Amino acid sequence: MMVVMAGNDNELLGYADEEYKERYGFSDKTEYTYKTEKGLSENVVREISKVKGEPDWMLEKRLTGYKVFKNKPVPTWGADLSGIDFDDVYYYLKPTGKKEDAWEKVPEDIKKTFDKLGIPEAERKFFAGAEIQYDSEVVYGHVREELDKQGVIFTDTDSAIKKYPELVKKYFGTVIPASDNKFAALNTAVFSGGSFIYVPKGVKVAMPLQAYFRINAEKAGQFERTLIVADEGSDVTYIEGCLPADELVSRGDTFQRIDTIKEGDAVPTHTGGTQKVNKKFIHLHKGTMLEIMPLSKGNSFKLTGEHPVLCVKRKNVLEKRKPRKNWKPEVSTMSLLSIDPEFVKAENLEEGDFIVYVAPKLTKNDPQFDETTLKILGLYLAEGSVSSNKALHGIKSVSFSFGKSKKESLLANEVNLLIHEKGFKSSVCRSKGGYYIVSSYAKELVALCEDNCGKGAKTKLLSEKIMKLPALKQKILIDYYWKGDGNIYHRYGKDMLRASTASRFLAYQIQEILARNGIFANLNIRRGGFDTILGRKIERSDQYIIEYTEGKKIGEVRKKGNTFFVPIKQIKKYEFNDLVYNFSVNKDESYLVKGFAVHNCTAPIYMSSSLHSAVVEIIVHKDAHVRYVTIQNWSRNVYNLVTQRAFAYENAHMEWIDANIGSKVNMKYPSVYLKERGAKGEILSVAVAGENQVQDSGGKMLHLAPDTTSKIISKSVSKKNGVSSYRGQLYVAKNASNVKSTVRCDALLLSKESKTNTYPYMDIKTDDATITHEAVVGKIGDEQLFYLMSRGLTEEEALTTIVLGFIDPLTKALPMEYSLELKRLIKLDTSNSVA
Amino acid sequence: MILEVKNLHVSIENKEIVKGVNLKVKEGEVHVIMGHNGSGKTTLARSIMGYPKLKPTQGDILVDGQSIVGLSVDKRAKLGLFLAFQNPVEVEGVGFINFLHNAKESISGSVNTKELMTDIRSNAVNLKMVENLVGRSLNQGFSGGEKKKAEVLQIGVLKPKIAILDEPDSGLDIDAVRIVAQNINEIAKKTGMGLVIITHYSRILSYMEPQFVHVMTDGKIVAEGGKELIEKLEKEGYESFSNGSK
Repeated sequence: MMVVMAGNDNELLGYADEEYKERYGFSDKTEYTYKTEKGLSENVVREISKVKGEPDWMLEKRLTGYKVFKNKPVPTWGADLSGIDFDDVYYYLKPTGKKEDAWEKVPEDIKKTFDKLGIPEAERKFFAGAEIQYDSEVVYGHVREELDKQGVIFTDTDSAIKKYPELVKKYFGTVIPASDNKFAALNTAVFSGGSFIYVPKGVKVAMPLQAYFRINAEKAGQFERTLIVADEGSDVTYIEGCLPADELVSRGDTFQRIDTIKEGDAVPTHTGGTQKVNKKFIHLHKGTMLEIMPLSKGNSFKLTGEHPVLCVKRKNVLEKRKPRKNWKPEVSTMSLLSIDPEFVKAENLEEGDFIVYVAPKLTKNDPQFDETTLKILGLYLAEGSVSSNKALHGIKSVSFSFGKSKKESLLANEVNLLIHEKGFKSSVCRSKGGYYIVSSYAKELVALCEDNCGKGAKTKLLSEKIMKLPALKQKILIDYYWKGDGNIYHRYGKDMLRASTASRFLAYQIQEILARNGIFANLNIRRGGFDTILGRKIERSDQYIIEYTEGKKIGEVRKKGNTFFVPIKQIKKYEFNDLVYNFSVNKDESYLVKGFAVHNCTAPIYMSSSLHSAVVEIIVHKDAHVRYVTIQNWSRNVYNLVTQRAFAYENAHMEWIDANIGSKVNMKYPSVYLKERGAKGEILSVAVAGENQVQDSGGKMLHLAPDTTSKIISKSVSKKNGVSSYRGQLYVAKNASNVKSTVRCDALLLSKESKTNTYPYMDIKTDDATITHEAVVGKIGDEQLFYLMSRGLTEEEALTTIVLGFIDPLTKALPMEYSLELKRLIKLDTSNSVA
Repeated sequence: MILEVKNLHVSIENKEIVKGVNLKVKEGEVHVIMGHNGSGKTTLARSIMGYPKLKPTQGDILVDGQSIVGLSVDKRAKLGLFLAFQNPVEVEGVGFINFLHNAKESISGSVNTKELMTDIRSNAVNLKMVENLVGRSLNQGFSGGEKKKAEVLQIGVLKPKIAILDEPDSGLDIDAVRIVAQNINEIAKKTGMGLVIITHYSRILSYMEPQFVHVMTDGKIVAEGGKELIEKLEKEGYESFSNGSK
């Protein structure tokens, strides 16, 4: 609804625009129809509150904030803030259009900007400041619909003040009162936007909190206010959703619709291992949905445009040869295999690009599946079924039906022998039509078949045990499946093996097993319908056709380790307006959709302003857990002065994960007040100070109760004349016995001019606290550079390698998109720091 | 490839360490430079590789007749030179395999990951590197012996044309010395690379067949010969060479 933009529009905005241009290759001027006078006065504060239609109690809080702000001097204990001219800032700017304005009225240039930024339609409206009321109702509303049963409140702060005055009143400013510091006071006086979240007792929330928070920050400017209250035993974290409900996700043993995936389920990731789903997220997506079709139709999947997919762009791997008439540019296998795939937003995928099919690596051998058993199961998969005989009081039998030919009769005999080999009884007979039938009433055999392969044609499915067998064992089963169901035909100049099944899941499973055996199989769908065979009208179900060739490649598919690069044959776009799903996974931060690696995220959004002063207050009640992830990449003209603080009560767990790359001066010290027994606080932060930048960051842990633990890991990198400082405060109160605290701050200096400072403040009032504090300052050693360069890396590559290695603990903890963005930014930066 | 060192003089902080060394190494040859601690062996090796603080004050280093003195370290590596470090450097958070991949890519221009992995695996097996290398950081947490083995592994994977090994045997137990030596031999035989082994113990040499032995004292090569020189050294020590007998 309201955007507060930078002050001196000529200079500061101009500079920001330059930055914008540099990053994105474009810049757009935004015009504002309404803005308050420059500078801050009581009138401005009153006006902001009035325009927002706030209740009096909120105006009172704002005015208190204003008074504190006016009376407190600019802090001088940290970075130099003398460059801020508080009178030269617009504290309240409103972009074109009133709040009820339609999206259509948003100026073209703003729309264009969003296009270039690749912001999804639904989110653009937030950014543009149009239809906020409407859209926030809709989007928050839909999320609420999902979470209403759980009683979760998730809304923007402005709305929360009106709708949940009691809750807001109860918690607002209790963690960070206006009197805390000058900038918290400023924020209290002029804040706009931010998120309000309340999670009731015992509720584990999975919501795209971060995305909406960011969006709010965008629309509502640089003084956002966020308040998160996690009630007893609850859980909140950040990530967002992008896949439609019916998308299939690989579970390793089977595939499952994404909307039925539960937290705690294990899913394979792009590394081939598995990770547990921590959180599942749902949000409404209005706008374009993409359908990506790799080589074959059966592997098509849908996702939203901003959803990253593991990919190798075709243009990067083309064969270097002169263009010839009628010769399409070809792909060089060598370069395809040597380039590391990257996560690319789906909307930036093009037909012909290679996406990555991953064969899961997980194996767990199970000796009950010997060769004979696997052969029996293979044939069962192709020709078998289990039925219960009414005449015999429901006794179950397994039968294998074969055709009339000589070959089929041999197969019938083989399965009969195999069954006998396992010590079961079975018999072969010929049906009236001349078909060979092998049947057995052996209970164990029936159970074996049913448990591991399912019952009927449409529901055939391999068990988890089978899906986890070593690849070679699985291959035995598949070979026998093919013996029964497969046929050979000639295509692509090769002998292709083909089989079809009515079970969609089985088709994906077979594809996966073949992939684990190093074979990429095509998967096509023959749609079902009514058919007439020999004058009889029959209904035919969808058939999934698997085809492959052994030892040869299909088309441009190339294998690398346990992955396959598969070219995209077609990309379709259509309009979509429904819920989309996503989930976050531990560690790898990716999962497989129909075998293809996609990722859950939005790239961090770059903004420009001269003064950013947010306040984040978090209350973590008994046994609750909150994880707050931010990456800060403001343009290099911004003073980023953010106050983030959490109160953690009995056995509560608060985590701050914080990366600071941008801004001119950054001062940010997330803190946790460990207020009751057993509370746990963690801060993991990284700061990169480049040319003319000051990164003053760190963390505060206040142990106010016994048995509380804390951990701070801080990593900073300074380049050129950049200055990074760690400022940490550790306080252990008198009554706080048995406290454990670990602080580790590592600094890396890339140049002689760069600086790092460490200011650990410790105040320990007990005798029994276990405190470890480690601070290590490293210079990029000549020896390290020499070593890496002696292995062929250029100076630039060697530097980047060292820096990325240094911040590895953080990049591992960040969601993949942040981690990739961070790595990319750091690569970009280090390439400039080589003399 | 021919590596030639001509009348090379190198100083550290105005103190001359290498005082006019001549050396010529061809692919396929095995050279040994022996000398006691502080004789300038390591400085010689590092200046050949191009350590920036070791600029020659006199003389030249040539590869195939072209001076490489002006080339950066990585360019020398790309030409086919390799230096196995006496004390391999640890780099935190940099995956060993990933690093090898990048190194191979830089040196060869491209890399076939599958071949690379096969290469790494077979070298690791041959070197009896027990720990799984996947997921480990570059030399970090490696024992002294593992670090040395990892250097040999890198030679096996990166396949330089001439590899200089600075004390590949120091800090190794008897078995490890044998394993390292056998692997160096094996790799050199397979690839036809040239080797310069720097050592001050003769043990490792009992597993190798050097054609050229150079004895270095006080920054100079004071004696050159074949394998027989090693025996002489064993008997008489470096002392007998310090007077410049040649």
